[in-house]
Amino acid sequence: MSRLQADHLYKVFGRRPDEAVRELAESGADRDALRADGTTAAVIDASFTVEPGQIFVVMGLSGSGKSTLLRMLNGLLTPTAGRVLFDGRDLTALSDRELREVRSRKISMVFQHFALFPHRSVLENAAYGLEVQGVPRAEREKRAAEALELCGLAGWEKSWPDELSGGMQQRVGLARALATDADLLLMDESFSALDPLIRRDMQDQLLVLQQKLKKTIVFITHDLNEAMRLGDRVAVMRDGRIVQLGTAEDILVRPADDYVASFIQDVDRTRVLTAAAVMTDGTVEPGDCPPGCGCRSVLPETPLAELCTVAARSLHPVAVENADGEVLGVVAQDRLLGVMGGLDADLRPTTPTGAAASTAVPGTHAAPAPTGDPAAQEAAEAPAAPRVPRPAASVEASAGDGEEVTARA
Amino acid sequence: MPRLPLGQWVDNTVDWLQAQFSWLFDAVTSLVTGLYDGIDAVLSAPQPLLFAGILAVVAWWLRGLSAGVLAFAGFAVVDSIELWDDAMSTLSLVLVATLVTLVIAVPLGIWAARSRTVSAVLRPVLDFMQTMPAMVYLIPGIIFFGVGVVPGIIATIVFALPPGVRMTELGIRQVDGELVEAAEAFGTTPRNTLLRVQLPLALPTIMAGVNQVIMLGLSMVVIAGMVGGGGLGGAVYRAIGNVDIGLGFEAGISIVILAMYLDRMTGALGSQVSPLGRRAAAKAHAARVARTGAKIWGHRPQPVTALVGVVILALVAGGMGFLGGGSATTASGKNTGHGKKISLGYIPWDEGIASTFLWKELLERRGYEVDARQLEAGALYTGLAGGQIDFQTDSWLPVTHAQYWEKYRNKLEDLGSWYGPTSLELTVPSYMKDVNSLADLKGKAGQFKGRIVGIEPSAGMMGILKDKVLEDYGLEGEYEVVDGSTPGMLAELKRAYDKKEPIVVTLWSPHWAYSGYDLKKLQDPKGSWGKGDGVHTLARKGFAADNPEVGAWLKGFKLSEKELTGLEAVIQETGKGKEQQAVRTWLDRNPGLAERLAPQ
Repeated sequence: MSRLQADHLYKVFGRRPDEAVRELAESGADRDALRADGTTAAVIDASFTVEPGQIFVVMGLSGSGKSTLLRMLNGLLTPTAGRVLFDGRDLTALSDRELREVRSRKISMVFQHFALFPHRSVLENAAYGLEVQGVPRAEREKRAAEALELCGLAGWEKSWPDELSGGMQQRVGLARALATDADLLLMDESFSALDPLIRRDMQDQLLVLQQKLKKTIVFITHDLNEAMRLGDRVAVMRDGRIVQLGTAEDILVRPADDYVASFIQDVDRTRVLTAAAVMTDGTVEPGDCPPGCGCRSVLPETPLAELCTVAARSLHPVAVENADGEVLGVVAQDRLLGVMGGLDADLRPTTPTGAAASTAVPGTHAAPAPTGDPAAQEAAEAPAAPRVPRPAASVEASAGDGEEVTARA
Repeated sequence: MPRLPLGQWVDNTVDWLQAQFSWLFDAVTSLVTGLYDGIDAVLSAPQPLLFAGILAVVAWWLRGLSAGVLAFAGFAVVDSIELWDDAMSTLSLVLVATLVTLVIAVPLGIWAARSRTVSAVLRPVLDFMQTMPAMVYLIPGIIFFGVGVVPGIIATIVFALPPGVRMTELGIRQVDGELVEAAEAFGTTPRNTLLRVQLPLALPTIMAGVNQVIMLGLSMVVIAGMVGGGGLGGAVYRAIGNVDIGLGFEAGISIVILAMYLDRMTGALGSQVSPLGRRAAAKAHAARVARTGAKIWGHRPQPVTALVGVVILALVAGGMGFLGGGSATTASGKNTGHGKKISLGYIPWDEGIASTFLWKELLERRGYEVDARQLEAGALYTGLAGGQIDFQTDSWLPVTHAQYWEKYRNKLEDLGSWYGPTSLELTVPSYMKDVNSLADLKGKAGQFKGRIVGIEPSAGMMGILKDKVLEDYGLEGEYEVVDGSTPGMLAELKRAYDKKEPIVVTLWSPHWAYSGYDLKKLQDPKGSWGKGDGVHTLARKGFAADNPEVGAWLKGFKLSEKELTGLEAVIQETGKGKEQQAVRTWLDRNPGLAERLAPQ
C-alpha cells in the first residue's frame, strides 16, 4: 500500500466552490475562465501516490498551486473535492480532533521561512511537536536533543533562533519535524530562502538523513535542479494542474509540453541523465580496443558528468554493463556530445518504447487524456509513456509551441 | 428639512433603560464601587512615604535605581503638597477602570482577531466610542449610576476600551502567519495556538495597549472629577471653578507624576512579562554593560529581592496603618449625629459655597460626618434625585433652576427658601454712561466686541438669557453669549473694569461684586428675566424623614442680606481652599448664630 495517495484533489477559493469544481471537471474550464467570476482554482484534479521511503517533489512556479496542494495533504486546508489517503485512511473524512492527532504524530512539516517560535529556545522549538503530543518534559528534551544532533546542531540547544544563521535555523526546523518521529515529512520550499551554497549543503544533508531514516517526504520547490537532485519522483505543476509526473530523467528526456521543456533548459543534464538513457544498442568489439587502451565500462545509472571522464580516455564507445558484467549497450563519444548539446529528440532511438518517447512531443497528443481517468494517470506515471492529461482547451496553443520544439530537435 | 428628533429618541431610550434595567445599573454600581473602595482602602492604608517606598522599589526592579529614586521623589512631592489622598483615589479610579477595561477589551480583541465579521462590526462601534466627546457619556452615566466615582469610571472605561481592543487585535493579527500555521501543522489546538504562540508573541503590542488604556484613563480623571469622581480630578475641577492657579498646578503636577510613573512602569512591565521583551532587554543591558561598564544607576535587583523588599515595606505599612487607625474625630457640642454621614453638593457660586460650608461646619459640630462635593449643576440635580447627594442649599426657584426642578420634582423635597428675593440681570460698569437698559444694547455690539460674558452654561440664567432675554430685546445674532464660569466671568469683569473697557456680564443679586465695583444693573422693562427667585434648600426625597433634626434645621434656615454678604466677604478674604476656616471665623464673630441655625 502506498503511504500517501492524492485522489482527484481540487481546491477552489471564492464563491460557490462546488459549482466551480463541477465546471472544471466536466467542461474542462481553466483557471482564467473562473477567475472572471472571482473564484480562484488553486489546485485542479491532482492525483498521485507516494510510496514509503520515497522523496516526492512537487515543482512549480509561484501561483501554480503547489503550496495549496501540500497543505491539503495534512489537512491544514480542506480539499473542495477529492480525497487524501494516508496509510489508507481518508484524511478528509476525519474530525478536527482526529486530524490534529494525525498531524501531531504522523505528519510533520518544514516551512519556507523556518517558522521557528522566536520566544522559545532552540531546544524548546525542536521539542514543540512532542510538547503538543503531551510527552513529559525530560523525555521530550532528550528526544529533541537527539533530533538536533542528527541535524548537526549539538551544542546549540540553549541558543535562541535569532542567534542562528539561516541554514542553522532550517536545521532546527528539520529537527523539530524529525523529533516527532512522523512517517511523513512535508517540506514547503524549505531550502528556497537559503543562499545557494547552504542550499546545496542542506540538500546533501537531507539525502544523507533520508538514507538513514527512510522517511516519506513530499518536497515542494520552484527550483527544477533541486527537484531533480532530491526527487525520486517529480510532479510538475502549472496553473493548478499537474502537467507531468515521473522520474527526473523522464522529465528531462521527455518533457510533457513546452512549459516543462522551457524549464529543463536550465537544468544541468549531465548530472541528471544516466548512461542508460543515452546508450545505443551494440557492443564493443575486441578489435576496436587496441592494446593499452585505458578504457573502462560504466554502470547504467552513471550520470553523464561521470561518463564524460571515462569517455575522454577511451578510443572507442564506452560499454554500459550491469553489475553482472553483462553489456547492455554502448555510448559513443559523438552521441554523448550530441545529447549534452540538447539533441534530446533522438534519445534511446532503438529501444521499443523509445520510439513512442521520441514522438512524445507536446501537442502531438491530439487526443487529450481524460483528466479524471486513473488509467491515464497510471499511464502517465509509467516512464515509457510520459503522457500527461491536458485540458482540451490548451491543446491548440501547445501544438504551436510543439512545432518549435520539433524544429529545435 | 424636518427636525429629526434624534436627541429626543436617545433621551427616551435612556429613560426607558433606566426604568427597565435599574437593577442592572445598581448591580454594576455596587460592583464597581466595591472594587474601587477595596483598592482605595488598600492604597490609602499605608503611610504615604512607606507606600511611596513600595512604588519606588517596584520602579527600581522594573527600570533601575535612578527610576526608583525619581519615583520616590515624585511621590514625596505629591505627599508634601497634601494631595496624597487625592492621588491615591485617582490611582484607584484608574486601576479599577483599567482592570475592567482589560477584562472586556482583551477577549474582544482576541475575538475580533479571529473573526473578520466581528472585527468589521466592532470597528465603527469603537470609532464611535473613541471619538464621541467623553463628557457626553457622563450625562447618561449619572442618570444610570448616580454621581460619584462610578459614572467617572464607566465613562473612562468606554473611552479607554477602543485602544485596548484594537491593540489586542493588532497584536494577534501581526503574529507571523507561518508561525500560526506551524503550530497548526504540529496539531496544536486552537486554544493552545492562542495561548502558546499568538498571545506570547502579541504581548508587547497588548502591553502597549494597556499603557494607552491607563494613559487615557488618567486623561479622563478631570472629567470624572466633574461628576464627583473626587481625587486629583476633583481638585483640578475645583481649581478651575475657583480660578485657583496654585491648586490647579499642584493637582496637575500630581497627575503628571502619576502618569509618568504608570507610563514608565507599564512600559517596562511590557518587556518584563513577554519572553521576547525580556530577551531584548537582557541583550541591551549586556551591550550597555560591555560598552560602559556596570553602573550603579542602572542596577536592578533580582525579582526575588524586589519582591522581598515590597513585602517587608507592605508589612511595615500594614502594621502602622493598623496601629495608627485608632484616632477618631471628636465633635464639639452636643453629639446629635453620632457620625452619621451626610453628603452635600454645591455648584461653585458664592452664596452656594458660603451656605454649603456653613452647613458643613454646623453639622460637623453636631456630630455628623459631612462630605461636600463640588459638582456641575446637571450632575448635582441628578445626584440629588438619585439619592447620592442628601441636600444642597443653592437652588434658585421658581425661575433660574426651573428646568431641573421640572425634571426631578418627584424625587426632590423643597425645604424652603432661606434667602430672597434675588434678581438676575445683565450688568455693565457704571462708566458705560449711555447703556442703562437692555434695550440700549441694541446696535452697540461693536463696542462690546459682540460678547456677553456669561457663566456656566448649565446655569439656569444662561438658559433664560439665550432663549428669552436676547429674543425679547432683539439682540439675537448681534451678541454672542460666551459660556464660561462664574470665576472666569468675574476675572474678565475685573480685567475690563481696571482698564475701563466696555463689558457686559451676567450677574445676579445678591453678589459681593456690587460692593466691590461700581456697577450698573441694566433695566428690564419687558420683565424678561422674570420675577426674583428665592434661594431654596433642596433635599433628596425622604431626607427630612430620615434625619428629622437636620430637616427641621434646614426648614428654619434663614440668612439676611447682611449676614450672607458678610459671610461671602470673609470667605473672599480668607482665600481659596480655606472656606471652612472662614466659616469658623465668621461664626466666632457672630456668636449665637450657630445656636440659632442648628438649635440643640
